[in-house]
Amino acid sequence: MKTRSGQSRPLLPTALAAVAVAAAITLPIFGTSYLIDVGTLVLVYVMLGLGLNIVVGFAGLLDLGYAAFFAIGAYTTAYFMVNNHMSFWLTLPIAACFTAVSGIIIGGPTLRMRSDYLAIVTLGFGEIVRIAATNFNFTGGPEGIYDMPHAQIGAFVLRTPAHLYVLGIAFSLVVLFGSYNLSRSRLGRAWLAIREDEAAAQAAGIHPVYYKLLAYVLGAIFAGAAGSFFAVKLTAINPSSFTFIQSVTILMVIILGGRGSLPGVILGAAVIVILPEVLRGIDQYRMLAFGVGLIVLMLLRPQGLWPSRYGRIEAREVALSEAEAHAGVAAGASAADSAATGASS
Amino acid sequence: MRNVFAVATLLVFLITGMVPGVGAQGATIKIGVPVPLSGGNAKMGTDIVQAATMAADEQNAKGGVLGRKLEIVSFDDACDAQQAVTAAHKLVDAGVAAVAGGYCSSAAIPASAVYHDAGVAFVADASSNPKLTDQGFENVFRVIGRDDQQGPYAAGFMTKDLHAKKVAIIHDNTLYAKGLATATQDALKKMMGVQVVFFDAITPGEKDFSATLTKVKSLNPDVTYFTGYYPEGGLVCKQFKDLGVSGKLMAGDANNDPTFIKECGAASTGVYITSTPLPQDQGTAKAFISRYTGRWKQDPGPYSALEYDSVGVVINAMQRAKSADRAAIIKALQATSAYSGATGKITFDKKGDRVQVLYITYIIKGDKFVPTGM
Amino acid sequence: MEIALQQIVNGLTIGAFYALIALGYTMVYGIIRLINFAHGDIYAVGAFVGFSTYGLLALLHVESPILTTLLALVVSMGLTGLLGTLVYRVAYRPLLHARLSILISAIGASLTLEYSLLLIYSPSFLVYPHLFGRAGPSFAGVSVSWLQILIFVSSIVLMAAIYFIVNRTKTGMAMRALAINQDAARLMGVNVSRVISFTFFLGSTLASFAGVLTGLYYSQISFLMGFLIGLKAFTAAVLGGIGNIPGAVVGGFMLGILESLAAGYYSSRWKDVVAFAVLILVLVVRPRGLLGERVVERM
Repeated sequence: MKTRSGQSRPLLPTALAAVAVAAAITLPIFGTSYLIDVGTLVLVYVMLGLGLNIVVGFAGLLDLGYAAFFAIGAYTTAYFMVNNHMSFWLTLPIAACFTAVSGIIIGGPTLRMRSDYLAIVTLGFGEIVRIAATNFNFTGGPEGIYDMPHAQIGAFVLRTPAHLYVLGIAFSLVVLFGSYNLSRSRLGRAWLAIREDEAAAQAAGIHPVYYKLLAYVLGAIFAGAAGSFFAVKLTAINPSSFTFIQSVTILMVIILGGRGSLPGVILGAAVIVILPEVLRGIDQYRMLAFGVGLIVLMLLRPQGLWPSRYGRIEAREVALSEAEAHAGVAAGASAADSAATGASS
Repeated sequence: MRNVFAVATLLVFLITGMVPGVGAQGATIKIGVPVPLSGGNAKMGTDIVQAATMAADEQNAKGGVLGRKLEIVSFDDACDAQQAVTAAHKLVDAGVAAVAGGYCSSAAIPASAVYHDAGVAFVADASSNPKLTDQGFENVFRVIGRDDQQGPYAAGFMTKDLHAKKVAIIHDNTLYAKGLATATQDALKKMMGVQVVFFDAITPGEKDFSATLTKVKSLNPDVTYFTGYYPEGGLVCKQFKDLGVSGKLMAGDANNDPTFIKECGAASTGVYITSTPLPQDQGTAKAFISRYTGRWKQDPGPYSALEYDSVGVVINAMQRAKSADRAAIIKALQATSAYSGATGKITFDKKGDRVQVLYITYIIKGDKFVPTGM
Repeated sequence: MEIALQQIVNGLTIGAFYALIALGYTMVYGIIRLINFAHGDIYAVGAFVGFSTYGLLALLHVESPILTTLLALVVSMGLTGLLGTLVYRVAYRPLLHARLSILISAIGASLTLEYSLLLIYSPSFLVYPHLFGRAGPSFAGVSVSWLQILIFVSSIVLMAAIYFIVNRTKTGMAMRALAINQDAARLMGVNVSRVISFTFFLGSTLASFAGVLTGLYYSQISFLMGFLIGLKAFTAAVLGGIGNIPGAVVGGFMLGILESLAAGYYSSRWKDVVAFAVLILVLVVRPRGLLGERVVERM
């Protein structure tokens, strides 16, 4: 591994970032409705990615059921807008409450568990929410909730793809700003300590369960916000948008992009949305290409496309394990022979 | 260096991939066909695209429409609401004159809003959920029947022909299946002397329904009506017989595929299927079937003929309007009257639904669907 | 009463499938802490390889159902076992220390397997030859088929074989050593890569056995068949205690029975909610799973 490129030339990433920002700003003006729609979808995954990043990237918890909070936010907004004719903006704090409470309910008893049990428990919770949404009548069953009114700012109705895109930008900036501040705060450092060495953190007086719960709940609220936006964008939601595959997709966003890294999450969201679109030309092979692409991407760049500082540490570890794997085969082979002759079984 | 290379390749890939597909109307007239091409319904999607392609090619052989060739543009909607919306935007931007296709109602309904906003006609070949046309969009049309017609029909057959007193209804919690199940239940509730003893869903994607069917067995129904799709239908059929559930088994029109019989094997004899007449039972469709099998070397799918007619109806509208303009096509489609398609005569009512949709009941004998005497 | 018994029989049948697949998850997780998302698809590949074998044998006019089935099983288990090790070599080995990246690679492997099956075979489902009917003994009003009994018995036999391999052979000891501490095992002369490969091979043979039996019993195979059952089997493995081999078996059967009873006595469309709720409850009360886990916390 060439460590030279670790101290990366700052020019390329900055240039990329500049291009991306320029594209993001000019899109609603020059883009076709398809491109704007894709752009808005990227923004949804940016929000979701940033939220999950707090849970997985900052606090190091493997969450396989994140779509549940996405669903709760979306259904809350959809339900109250359709049934109570509530304004979109009023549904946001309600969605935040519901997602926070559900985060506490599921996180409370389970965050004491080993991190990998958390994975299956969160997966289970995600499925429970989706199946409940499919079965209950007040959530519309498999049809979901449709015919939602548009969001409004005063008398101005946010109707066109461009309007929604700008709304999405606003939401994303808020989430981005929040994430950035969190990562730089005492909270962020506590999470880092827990992620790297939980026992040591506890010895230093950081109560792991409390901080993990906080990360989980904050992540839930961000997902809820993304869900509310998603609902008002589609004006019709149904349970098929909140499957286990959706949770996995959001996880892919942050791992592809580089967990713990904010620009990485944005890049990851862009790749996750745009790559399947790009592959539409070869529809028959689209998913196959995507699968192979994921493997190749991870083999080439396991730390993600834009890793944080810690990602580079991980990259070095991967190189180590590659070297080990090659050495281990040779060393193990000869050692096994000598062990076989001498050792007992 | 590797990193720069990787990221640069990615960027080039992304940019070049995004650009094509954006274009104004060129020399060809484009017809959009959004269908699932990945996931569990991929086969249905492929059947539909093949039928559409055949329809376009046949028209092109006759000189196209208004002197221009037809081009089928198909995109994958993966039976997912969000992907369907994206595919819809992409089709609109690609300059399609009209859209004829769709499979899952849960994808078609959100997508129809996009087509409505863009003023593009949307002729649905397979989405049977009533809400599609109940939305009141003037650009939405439907060549297949509605589930709230099939439900009452099925209820009538169960009570009059099969003399059912106790009915079990099994759906799979998808939009279409639950819609059909609910329509059937509502119709049965209005009738005297018949009771719905079971109304619940199995999970599609699973294979083992013995627990559910054992529960149904304990209720001793006279008729069990399965309203899901044929992959699960075949399994339900097989396990229904293996467990020895009493009474007759009936299934909805998503089970009118020959693989249902193949999967269920010998146990499928005596099973009833409600459906619109299959192509092989419509004189109008015989020619279609032989051309389809000749071209694609496989049997048409249950929706191939309907898709063939969906494209045909669009072509017919363009010819009558003498234009490939989107708004003109919508107007002409609204005026469609007694168009002779492979699936019979097509006329659209004010909502865009097809009038006089006929449902019949098939019974499986040997390895064929045989129409029961009405 | 007979309904309850029938539901238990139903549960044991599906439970046998869960257990066979759960073993692969638990063994791999025990050794390298990976949730092998592609394992369910290995099960699917096994079913398809069996299907092709049947087709080939039919072309060669081999008639006997017993012979063709044995051959299909052997071929499928062998080839799919090798495929499992190939997936490990290509997609997992370089990433063993990158816990999250290896997950993504596993997802990529899963998609690759699924859509390769779609392209090679068919987007629609395929029907297995109907070789064995549903004849069987019936007692107390419960119908059981010989095929069901065969599935149950052969699963138990295979699981016992795995238990034997893991606990009574040298390679098995190496597997257990790896699960405790990879570096120490390497220092003791264990060829880490080869042992991990073997683990993948074992797990994949069991999964493909389950795949062929699925084809024989349910008659239907499709390229996505591994997805849902993979999820369930992983749940079963955790329920029993991840990394614990008897735990995977117990977890599998318990999950099967739980689902059957939930569908039979409560509601079919809520049964998965019940299953997951029970899982969460069990883990809250017994965080190590029912039989306790066998993976040491890695610092």
